[in-house]
Amino acid sequence: MTATVLESQLIVGATLFILGVIGFLTRRNLILIMLSAELMLHGVSINLTAFSRYHGNPQGQVFTIFVLTIAACEAGLALSLILSLYQRRKSLDVFLWGKLGEDDLPVFSGSQAPPVTVTADPNVDLPHLTPAGRMPKTQPGPQTKT
Amino acid sequence: MDWSKENGLLIIPLVLGCFAVCWLMPSTRQRPRILGGLAALAAILMMQAMLLPPAGDYVRSVLFFVFAAAAVISAGLMITDRNPVYAALWFALVTLAVCGLFLLNAAPFLSASTIIVYAGAIIVTFLFVIMLAQQSGTATSYDQQPIQPLMASVGGFILLGALLFTLQEWGHIDGTSTSEHAEPGQFIALPKEIEPNPLSQAPHDNPHEIGSLRVLGRSLFGDYLFSVEIAGTVLLIATIGAIAIAPRRSQGTL
Repeated sequence: MTATVLESQLIVGATLFILGVIGFLTRRNLILIMLSAELMLHGVSINLTAFSRYHGNPQGQVFTIFVLTIAACEAGLALSLILSLYQRRKSLDVFLWGKLGEDDLPVFSGSQAPPVTVTADPNVDLPHLTPAGRMPKTQPGPQTKT
Repeated sequence: MDWSKENGLLIIPLVLGCFAVCWLMPSTRQRPRILGGLAALAAILMMQAMLLPPAGDYVRSVLFFVFAAAAVISAGLMITDRNPVYAALWFALVTLAVCGLFLLNAAPFLSASTIIVYAGAIIVTFLFVIMLAQQSGTATSYDQQPIQPLMASVGGFILLGALLFTLQEWGHIDGTSTSEHAEPGQFIALPKEIEPNPLSQAPHDNPHEIGSLRVLGRSLFGDYLFSVEIAGTVLLIATIGAIAIAPRRSQGTL
């Protein structure tokens, strides 16, 4: 079997993509998960440029530039998210985030939900929104309604 | 068995590669890594034997094989290395090899811009790894216990086998077919003569300068101007989001 140049490039792109998928699924380090996603983008970029050369128009390369842009956005957002997650658990292990429920809620199974009793723990540092803008002034006195 | 004889060449390197990735995954048990390395090498050599190019243009073929092998080997080592610092370095090597493939695909500008963008990204990632993961000094336990390595490898390589089988069966481009569109059951159409799009700004007079800055810039800022604006907006929004998500120093220390 002899393959053309385009086919060889497609095979390399598919291999890189699959290796990225395997890394994405298996690794437990948050940073390595992000790098595996970038590896998948590399595989796709090889496909795009190969088809661009094969068809002889620049659209594939233009699309690769957009892929590069989105990859930059994704890397920035992912790194800030990783920093924020690391600050809460002091670890990069993704297993620590397998359960996103709150600890002070009761665990139940089945269809019957027990009545929820929320007991606020003052020691737990829950996220809160910072107030924006000024507090609206409430007018004392009689309110006129129409 | 005609079918198995025809596709055995495809199955053997896939099985070898699956075994290699699975074997090389970090684990708490000590395993001889040379076995997985040999299996991976055999798989890559068999795939390259399948990809023997038509005669002629040897320099290009050799360059392609060097870059492709570098990319695939570095990617395999990246996802199997137990130290995240080395994994980031392997990813840098993958990026360099992919830039070489871009050059072979007549995209010199893309190659340069990818190196520039990813150099910054990799340096920042590298700093993050050193800052966050290496505080204890040694490799942490979660880096040595991958999630379901066998299932992920088998599933991934089944997907790769499906892709390669599709390429082998329906992706053939033989010069005998003269139609410009793909035959039914064949998903790669022959390259047709470039007919100038009346709305397009890109010059079509010389098809040999596809990757040149002139053609690329005309296409990017002519045909895709609206998309460029949207991409700029996405970058701005991502920057604002990153600043909003990133923790403040006043709320806690790193």
